Amino acid sequence: MAGSVAFAIEAFKRIHPVEFERRFLSQGTRHDGRAPGQFRALSVAKGTISTAHGSSTVRLGNTTVVCGIKAEVCEPDVKTPDEGYLVTNVDLSPMCSARFRAGPPGESAQVASEHLARLFAGGVVDLRELCIESGQAAWVLSADIVCLRHDGNIIDAAVVALMAALENLAVPAAAVESGVVSADRTKGRRLTLRRRLFPATFTLVDDTCVVADADDAEEQLATAAVLVVVDARGRLANVWKRGAGAVGRQAIAQCL
Amino acid sequence: ALSSASAASGTAFYEQGKIRISCAVYGPRQGRRSNARAGSFDCDFRYAPFACSWKRRSHVRGADEKEISLILEHAVAPAIRLEAYPKACIDAFVTVIESDGKAATIAAAINCISAALADAGIEMYDSVAACSMGLAGARWVADCAQPEEDAALCSMLIAYMPGADEITYILQHGKTTPEQTDQAVQTCTDMCARVYAVICRYLQSSLE
Repeated sequence: MAGSVAFAIEAFKRIHPVEFERRFLSQGTRHDGRAPGQFRALSVAKGTISTAHGSSTVRLGNTTVVCGIKAEVCEPDVKTPDEGYLVTNVDLSPMCSARFRAGPPGESAQVASEHLARLFAGGVVDLRELCIESGQAAWVLSADIVCLRHDGNIIDAAVVALMAALENLAVPAAAVESGVVSADRTKGRRLTLRRRLFPATFTLVDDTCVVADADDAEEQLATAAVLVVVDARGRLANVWKRGAGAVGRQAIAQCL
Repeated sequence: ALSSASAASGTAFYEQGKIRISCAVYGPRQGRRSNARAGSFDCDFRYAPFACSWKRRSHVRGADEKEISLILEHAVAPAIRLEAYPKACIDAFVTVIESDGKAATIAAAINCISAALADAGIEMYDSVAACSMGLAGARWVADCAQPEEDAALCSMLIAYMPGADEITYILQHGKTTPEQTDQAVQTCTDMCARVYAVICRYLQSSLE
């Protein structure tokens, strides 16, 4: 008897996903038992990858994201000879979800990468700390965020992962001799992070209900999502709405 | 570690020392050729950009990643009962999160795919276990890490099905004598049997 009930629930979820979610939302709860404003448990592990200069693994419910930062030497931009670069890249591969195809980054990955880059360009890392020799050599930090399992809310997990990897990062000590840069990996120094960012995503499901930290099933039904990022002092760093639906002003105020 | 995923048919995360590999298997799903009598198995192998201890890899598929994809296909395909899945295709996506020694990473990838295929419930003759060795001086050393591999004269990779006592893949780089190769094959297949025991234990415990 219990077996057939479980099968019926599974079938209902597949055939009528909207109705399935509505049954829960109309009662003020969600299909995994969370309250609409409740976030999933977040676990962060730093320094998980020994081949990268800074790394972190973040688990947000079932969503698993790994961020690795590699530091390489390059010539700084002519306009800013004292600054290095921070390049962020989000990688969504078929490994994490059947929605993505193998090959060059798809649209969602590129949008996520762009947004993360803009978010972190706004004063998290002092780029002048990445300078080796003014005008000659600087560090470029390539931060790659690889998604291992996709169960909704990649952006939040990616922001947390990048933040943790930057905290974990040890930039090798570098010296320049007659045009050749030699770096010693055993002597690393930490960067000072001027701001710590904390993200929160609120998704408008089915035009009616605003839920926090949507998982994959809810994201599929979502019409819009709002990302709010605050820093350690409670100041707003970023508000971003994505999705084709229109979000009422009241809903935005609720998120903030 | 094995897990039941919501999207992929089967997933596996494999750790061997410092090597960390994640694999997702999709299938059987609709194949590309509608008149094929047996299913096809495709493997897509890639390194994460921060996986190797040397320079960061770009996102464009390198030639070595394509070569390794083919190695994995040839090593694992003989174990799958492809004639049970006509017109279907089974896709495996492998991402190396952290790598330590190229031959050892390929061996670990083969083990990871075997575990993921079992997690997906794909019919197989047997699980494939793989092992790598390097020739340091006159002795064969098992499972070389990156510095050991750089110093080794020769490297050997063997993929083996212990239940059927068949070698599905063998690859040797470097100079050896026939006797040394013979000895390596013997030792490697013994070690593959041990790796196979570990994989089977995990599969059994995940069922409970």
